[in-house]
Amino acid sequence: MSLNTTKRRVVITGTGMVTPLGRNCAETFDKASKGISGIDYITNFDTTGLPCRIGGQVKDEWLEPFDDRAAGRLERYSSRGLRMMRTAVLEAAAQAGLSEVKDRERVGVSLGSHGENVSVAEMSDLLRFYDGRKWDIPGLIKSGHYSPFQLYLRKPDTATSILSMLFDCRGTSLSIVSACSAGAQAIGEACRVIQDGKADAMIAGGCESTLNFMGFIGFVLIKALSEKYTTPQTASRPFDRKRNGFVMSEGAGAVILEDLEHARSRGAVILGELLGYGASADAYRITDTHPKAEGAFIAMAGALEDADLAPEEIGYVNAHGTSTTQNDLVESLAMRRVFGERAKSVPVSSNKSMLGHTIAAAGAIECITTLMGMHRSIILPTINYEFRDPKCDLDFVPNEARHMPYRRALSNSFGFGGQNACLCIGTFEE
Amino acid sequence: MKADTQVVITGTGLACSLGKDTAETWDALLSGKTGVKPISGFDVADFGSHEAAQVPGLTPDGLGIHPRDARIMDIHSLLLMMASREAFRKAHPVHSGMLGEEMGFFAGMGMIDYKIDDLMPSVLKSLAPDGSIDYHAFYSGGYQEIHPLWPLAMLNNITFCQVAIDLGIRGENTVFCPHAEGGMIAVTEGCGTVLEGRSRLALAGGVSEKVSPLSLARGHLAGVLKISTGDGDGRCRPFGEGDKGTVLGEGAGIVALELRSSADARGAAYSTMLTGYGHACEPLDDGPAPTARAIARAMDRAIEAASLRAENIDLIIAHGDGTLHGDKSEKEAITQVFSGHSDFVVFSSKAALGHLLAAAPAVDIVLGTLIIENGIIPPAMPEDAGQRGLGLNLVTGSPVRKNVRKIMINCQSYEGQCSSVILESVA
Repeated sequence: MSLNTTKRRVVITGTGMVTPLGRNCAETFDKASKGISGIDYITNFDTTGLPCRIGGQVKDEWLEPFDDRAAGRLERYSSRGLRMMRTAVLEAAAQAGLSEVKDRERVGVSLGSHGENVSVAEMSDLLRFYDGRKWDIPGLIKSGHYSPFQLYLRKPDTATSILSMLFDCRGTSLSIVSACSAGAQAIGEACRVIQDGKADAMIAGGCESTLNFMGFIGFVLIKALSEKYTTPQTASRPFDRKRNGFVMSEGAGAVILEDLEHARSRGAVILGELLGYGASADAYRITDTHPKAEGAFIAMAGALEDADLAPEEIGYVNAHGTSTTQNDLVESLAMRRVFGERAKSVPVSSNKSMLGHTIAAAGAIECITTLMGMHRSIILPTINYEFRDPKCDLDFVPNEARHMPYRRALSNSFGFGGQNACLCIGTFEE
Repeated sequence: MKADTQVVITGTGLACSLGKDTAETWDALLSGKTGVKPISGFDVADFGSHEAAQVPGLTPDGLGIHPRDARIMDIHSLLLMMASREAFRKAHPVHSGMLGEEMGFFAGMGMIDYKIDDLMPSVLKSLAPDGSIDYHAFYSGGYQEIHPLWPLAMLNNITFCQVAIDLGIRGENTVFCPHAEGGMIAVTEGCGTVLEGRSRLALAGGVSEKVSPLSLARGHLAGVLKISTGDGDGRCRPFGEGDKGTVLGEGAGIVALELRSSADARGAAYSTMLTGYGHACEPLDDGPAPTARAIARAMDRAIEAASLRAENIDLIIAHGDGTLHGDKSEKEAITQVFSGHSDFVVFSSKAALGHLLAAAPAVDIVLGTLIIENGIIPPAMPEDAGQRGLGLNLVTGSPVRKNVRKIMINCQSYEGQCSSVILESVA
């Protein structure tokens, strides 16, 4: 095993997403650039009595149907998260012309996702056949209520495997489960696979659908969600002094990463370049982020070092910006540590103010909006920014998109438990 | 190859059914012991599979874990903590002045299942008089019977983060899930991160899932578990004839990876290095395993990356999980890649330790290191059950003395992913 002395350049040749704001990249970006919120009252399940009743839902009709027979065979194994991911990958793969790549053994998948949550109905069905010690398995099977496919929906790697089959990817296959940083880590790890020469192209990204009772309730119990809001649309208010928790959303984001020479050889349109990736752990506490932003700083500095860029070469930061008191405070501190005196003049905004927090999908979606912003010379705003927090005193691009060109940007993702990732994205330059 | 392009192993850690650390496990393996026993902790009467290699009686007591943290730790958390601590202690990076941000961590994690007992009180509080669930009662308050820390225990990455906190690791990291290939990718990512200088040292490996009703149900649904017949000792039979199927196990394996130049500079001891790896993915149409073509491709890629030829390999630590399709594909791949060569022998740890899923590759790498250091290969099975007749020269019966210098280690998932690495003696 040896180190490649000349690191392969990794470019982005396709992007796709489905979010609470739209069925694809263009719809999502256009609405976000107008400062529209995708958050509303949850209709997926009954929220009566819960302290938080809002979220960012994806419309069912936006999900591509499993229309052909081969895909249909896999539908029963497919979680809602995977259905969204398939829609996003269809968009990204079409844009990249991924089906034209002949050697499918050199095409892989790297997916951040966590599998589907158990439903209350499933729990109550199961409990009828369990007395606290002994299972009545014959009774459970005879009842016919419990589908064996439920177990597949919960396995995080099922989604990766099905994507591999649907898009005929026979190369490296990665299933990443690092909570809110999973999408960014999946892209970062896919980049490494290509840099190492183990693949020519990778489908990378993340998907998540936690807008069901058991998925949602976990975050209610740890009091991470916004509970004080006047309207759903104003609940997610990253960096605002009155922020009080994040808003849960669902979605998927997919990019096609490709070795530069491979993309060139087949004449693919190059949308941008993945310049660097940094990852870190807080190694502090499970429930709190590091008060001195140690982990966030290491990830951001790592991405810059990997990209061989100085902080002053960064024109924009797409923040993790969850709208929790702690994250936004610590992320602001990390920005000051990375950018020093220049911190206040680097635009930093949070897509989550409009999209909510899509957990494993967030890093991928935000990577793509960052790239789209570069192409359009638009920096997406942080909406609901009304009350300045003296401890978060940066340029958060408040409430309205800003028209300005930028060529290189960072995109942050900080995961629950203390796993952090940062992607450095740039326009493609020879 | 230069010392700054060689990845050596400066620490190893194991925790499994045969021992709480590497030494205990190794001694038990050489004695031909198996951790596979009748399943304890829950009633298995209605499951087809009644045996597993569990780690019974493991508690946080004596591990110096704060009760607040222990509340969200299950067996898999303790196993990962124990194996990681052992590897970390042996590698002693902190004594060499290494900083947290210079150390990476990569692990494959098995599935984390809901414990029905954790959720039962909330459902019981929400029952209507006729015994059905009153959803309104559940949504409007019943759910509050669930322990507030329960959601944390359900997150796939929390155990990983607890270990990072315990050891002060702050560098590059990722959690992969949930089968053997996830554990192998963790190891190869660990190699990549030290090769590229992104970490000076990387802990890498994985942990199995807890053996539970849901893990058994998943195994049965996938059609990979051995059905208990009451005959024999319950072990799976890698590449054997007769009853096919695998047996689940609990355990964790971790290696500390480092550039040889870095290990030399700080005086860290090592005996083995990882010199090549390959990954591939292609599921069989008719069974839960990769195709022989994909396994052969991963093996070929690993051999090529290590600048070796098949005839250089002394030992294959096979995935060998005893399943019909997995064994068939792997045997076909080995036969194809090693066509014309007969000097190698084959070992599998699955009969002794059970299938450790995401932990399996790192556990096998640790065992490979012990085999190279000690010049002895433990038996894969207690007796020669006609294995040699299958043409794979599996080590059975008693340990075999052999000067092993180059090992290929294979792993695969039920969904079609497969990986191979090459482990070599540095001597």
